[in-house]
Amino acid sequence: MTKTEYDGPILEIDQLSISFFTRLREIPAVMDFSVAVQPGEAVGLVGESGCGKSTVALGVMQDLGKNGRIVGGSIKFKGRDLGQMSMEELRDIRGSEIAMIYQEPMASLNPAMKIGKQLMEVPMIHQGMDEKAAYDRALQVVTDVKLPDPKRMLDSYPHQLSGGQQQRIVIAMALMSEPALLILDEPTTALDVTVEAAVVELVKELGKKYGTSMLFISHNLGLVLETCDRLCVMYSGEAVETGSIADVFDKMQHPYTQALFRSIPLPGADKNTHPLKAIPGNFPLPHERPQGCNFGPRCDYFEAGRCDADAIQMEPIEGDDRHWSRCLKFREIDWDAPIDVIDQKAKAEIGDVVLKMDNLKKYYEVAANALFGGGNTKVVKANETLSFEARESETLAIVGESGCGKSTFAKVLMGLETATDGQIILDNRNIESTAIESRDTETVSDIQMVFQNPFDTLNPSMTVGRQIIRALEIFGVGASEAERKERMLKLLDLVKLPRAFADRMPRQLSGGQKQRVGIARAFAGDARIVVADEPVSALDVSVQAAVTDLLMEIQREHKTTLLFISHDLSIVRYLSDRVMVMYLGHVVELGSTEQVFAPPYHPYTEALLSAVPIADTSIEKQHIVLEGDIPSAMNPPPGCPFQTRCRWKSEVPGGLCEKEVPPVRQMEAGHQVKCHLADDILARMEPVIKVAAE
Amino acid sequence: MEPLTWTGSLDFLNPIFIALIFICAALVAAYMVASVFAPEAQTTVNPDGTLSVSPSLLTLVTSALKYGFLAIITVLLAYLIGGMFLGLNAGIIGAMSQQFVPVWISLVVLFVLSITYKRRLGLYGKLFDSTVGMIGFALVMFWVFTGLFGAFDMIVTHDALTQVSGMKNKVPGTPMRGADEGDFPYYLLGGDNLARDVFSRMVKGCLIVVLIAPLATLFAFMVGITLGLPAGYYGGRLDTILSFTANLILAFPVILLFYLLVTPEIRATGLPQYMASILFIFPLVFLTVLLNSRFYTQPGFRTPLLIAVLGMGGWIYLSLISEVGSKVHVIPGFADLFDLDGGILTVFVSVVFVNSPTVFRIVRGLTMDIKTRDYVAAAQTRGEGAWYIMLWEILPNARGPLIVDFCLRIGYATILLGTLGFFGLGLEPESPNWGNTINEGRKLLSIYLHPAIVPALSLLSLVLGLNLLADGLREESLKD
Repeated sequence: MTKTEYDGPILEIDQLSISFFTRLREIPAVMDFSVAVQPGEAVGLVGESGCGKSTVALGVMQDLGKNGRIVGGSIKFKGRDLGQMSMEELRDIRGSEIAMIYQEPMASLNPAMKIGKQLMEVPMIHQGMDEKAAYDRALQVVTDVKLPDPKRMLDSYPHQLSGGQQQRIVIAMALMSEPALLILDEPTTALDVTVEAAVVELVKELGKKYGTSMLFISHNLGLVLETCDRLCVMYSGEAVETGSIADVFDKMQHPYTQALFRSIPLPGADKNTHPLKAIPGNFPLPHERPQGCNFGPRCDYFEAGRCDADAIQMEPIEGDDRHWSRCLKFREIDWDAPIDVIDQKAKAEIGDVVLKMDNLKKYYEVAANALFGGGNTKVVKANETLSFEARESETLAIVGESGCGKSTFAKVLMGLETATDGQIILDNRNIESTAIESRDTETVSDIQMVFQNPFDTLNPSMTVGRQIIRALEIFGVGASEAERKERMLKLLDLVKLPRAFADRMPRQLSGGQKQRVGIARAFAGDARIVVADEPVSALDVSVQAAVTDLLMEIQREHKTTLLFISHDLSIVRYLSDRVMVMYLGHVVELGSTEQVFAPPYHPYTEALLSAVPIADTSIEKQHIVLEGDIPSAMNPPPGCPFQTRCRWKSEVPGGLCEKEVPPVRQMEAGHQVKCHLADDILARMEPVIKVAAE
Repeated sequence: MEPLTWTGSLDFLNPIFIALIFICAALVAAYMVASVFAPEAQTTVNPDGTLSVSPSLLTLVTSALKYGFLAIITVLLAYLIGGMFLGLNAGIIGAMSQQFVPVWISLVVLFVLSITYKRRLGLYGKLFDSTVGMIGFALVMFWVFTGLFGAFDMIVTHDALTQVSGMKNKVPGTPMRGADEGDFPYYLLGGDNLARDVFSRMVKGCLIVVLIAPLATLFAFMVGITLGLPAGYYGGRLDTILSFTANLILAFPVILLFYLLVTPEIRATGLPQYMASILFIFPLVFLTVLLNSRFYTQPGFRTPLLIAVLGMGGWIYLSLISEVGSKVHVIPGFADLFDLDGGILTVFVSVVFVNSPTVFRIVRGLTMDIKTRDYVAAAQTRGEGAWYIMLWEILPNARGPLIVDFCLRIGYATILLGTLGFFGLGLEPESPNWGNTINEGRKLLSIYLHPAIVPALSLLSLVLGLNLLADGLREESLKD
């Protein structure tokens, strides 16, 4: 098909409304949504889960499924209404003029087909290219997405590639026919931070190179800041604010946008002096939206009788370039008013050492043959010489990407696995080789865990109350059923859930509420050490702040030691006292939060800091993109674990990095770095994140 | 007396019925052609939020087809309801419909109650949202009620075992020769090779099927679950050994196994009874572990509960396996609660034995998936025992696929029972169960069709009902 020349906006969505029809009722998913994407422009679509941003993307693809339907408005692609096209015309456009990239790369690739074949299909179908030309094109695109050894890539199956490589292939596939519009639906959510940074970099570069317009869907404001020219904030099926990045980030004109920015930890936020401000209330269900402004019930500026009267239209903001807001009061609100500081909390006193790890090692033996044993056994070194101390009411953050050994460490601490070597000392008792079955009840209830996935953390077929009572039974709390019930209700109070939730099933709770129940369960036996494994990373931004604050509050009250496992450095900086950075089973840096976030860095910490997107236009970041993927723990590189991706490697003489594991070096009091770099080079390092002068 | 016709005084409906069948067949053919060639229907959305479909050939055919089927169903209902009141005047179908009156009443009551309270009944209630599921459930419950009422001699017209002279191989609707005052005057579905009433034998045979098939399947599930959970949860060598054994049993030819089990020489060695003692202990183990893992934190409650359960269960277990004068004779005759007929025991053991490996594999797979969930990790980190995790954290969350498989498997077990009966294995030759009856009828199949076709159609409709029920359940359990 020949591509038509057209110089208006690539995509023009005008007052689009999309509904899903179910057995019970019509559920409006998107209402009165308008956006225009100019050639070469990248537009971000931001909002919490359930706000309808993915529905918009599916609407553009005209792929709403059986019960989804466009009930109003139009979607024009290069001036032609997509809704009026026949199936054949749509088939021609999809994949050739509009391409879409989904969240899960593995699900977008056919596992039974070689990469090369899948890529070549695109131009062969859409442009009728012959096989030879298609192969050359595939080879060129794979080179463009910076994959090593493109020829071998084309000849491999999807499962032979890592997640980051797969996502690059998906991007390559989308670019095969040089589409005019690229829709990216949370393209990096399934990837690690450093890999995400590299993919984002690539998308930006390719957008420039091919002149592709992009619709970038994400829940991460920082990511949108880095990739897009304009953005559109969505809330509960409506666009509430759209405008250029600079306008929306610095001169926001909608209360929801403001609340969203106040609930994410930006540099400068602090758990004691500048706590995050969570958005009160819950996201309304699509069929229970309030009259008038959808955000009304949760809004600080709500005015009864005015905001809840009629449907509210988008209004332009004078003086700005295409900056619109869906708020009746935006002209009256003083947007520069400082946040009324809610309640500053006294910093908790850090107490004695409760937990001490000394040279902890955990190796797994992987046998080649399960039935008869023997054969070749491989050793996986999941944790290598882990040493640290954790004190009472201290928050120690453990930072690292997948495969760095943080989960193994948690398992060993909890007693689900026993250590290979080294010691774990809890209150002067060694527990490293006591499996959980042989631990006494007190030890078990002292160390508890909060899990990552809220949809997985509760047993779906048991009531919430029953699950907490079970934990109380196991920990021997309370003498009778009635006493335990009373205690369970108190625990619900503690996590600020209504007592009526005791009789609910987990599926009736939202993600944040489930996570609160998970926290209540962990504190059932008055836990002294709580391992929180990414407790908020799967939650929406506005809920994250509330759950984080809850954890901090309980910690302050109970003097709990919190081991906070995370890959999100913004939240780590916000809440932790000390930070431990792990890479491939090694602790590469350990120190107080200020020490770790300021130079000298370990080269990996430096890259990690640079990779985390920050939603603040006044922040200047050094751009450090790591090459390649994290090596497998089955087959770690010799010498320093980070040497394969380190940009400072050349500064170490004699190839020392490839030969020896670096020693642990004490920098200042309590700050240690595992690196070969000489002192003067470390001292020369510049801060990655700089707040630009106002 | 005149022989009964099929529809009696309702025969004015017959031409309508036949015409409707032909019209629907033609419409189906037209639909197939139209779905290939006709243009797609355009759906548009009205401003008030309703959908409207612009008329096209395809939508026209579709709606015609719908009304056609509705008409057929209406005529069928007219036959049945008319028969209920007219009885013998409405021919064979009418008379049968009148005999089934208790079943119709029970079905209507059950459906009215269930549909009224369907929102409060969980997955069972959701079943009434799916047409397919409701049809399946109605078929299954029809046979369950038939079996139950048949056991109280309510539906049958004659004794299932009595032979009446002159009724040998008579066609359906033949008047009974020399009928006394209180006797039912007709053999509704004819007489079989030994001059017994086919209709009554079908009703009587139903009980064995609706009783043994679900029970045997339940036992197979207990065995499969008790072994599948640890295999999936622990993995490793235990899993390898158990899976290997399961594969071994699955690889063994089933029919050969049955022949071996029922051979008199093998029965004399007591092998089926030994197998029963092993297989029947699993439900006991299952219950004990289930309750102990849940209540061990409260010994005051746990111990009496377990004593009661184990006492009762143990007694039933011993009564089941022990039989005076056989190889396994562990408790004295006066303590023996009931004696299971040796044939039924063999059939039961066979069905459990061949079904449990498949259940084992399903449970094992589900366990391996669910054990990676965070709530299992949470249970581990608070020091729960392995059996608590398996039975209370994993098993309840595997229930969806297991319930569906349970329904399907009752169907297989029913067919298996039929097969066993057909081969004359297990049950005594005069037993009215469907398998036996089909086998006997088979011998004269080319001359007299009815003695074999009646139980065959019964079996077909019950298994079809079970499959539809499983389909409905699966469909509804996937929806939220």
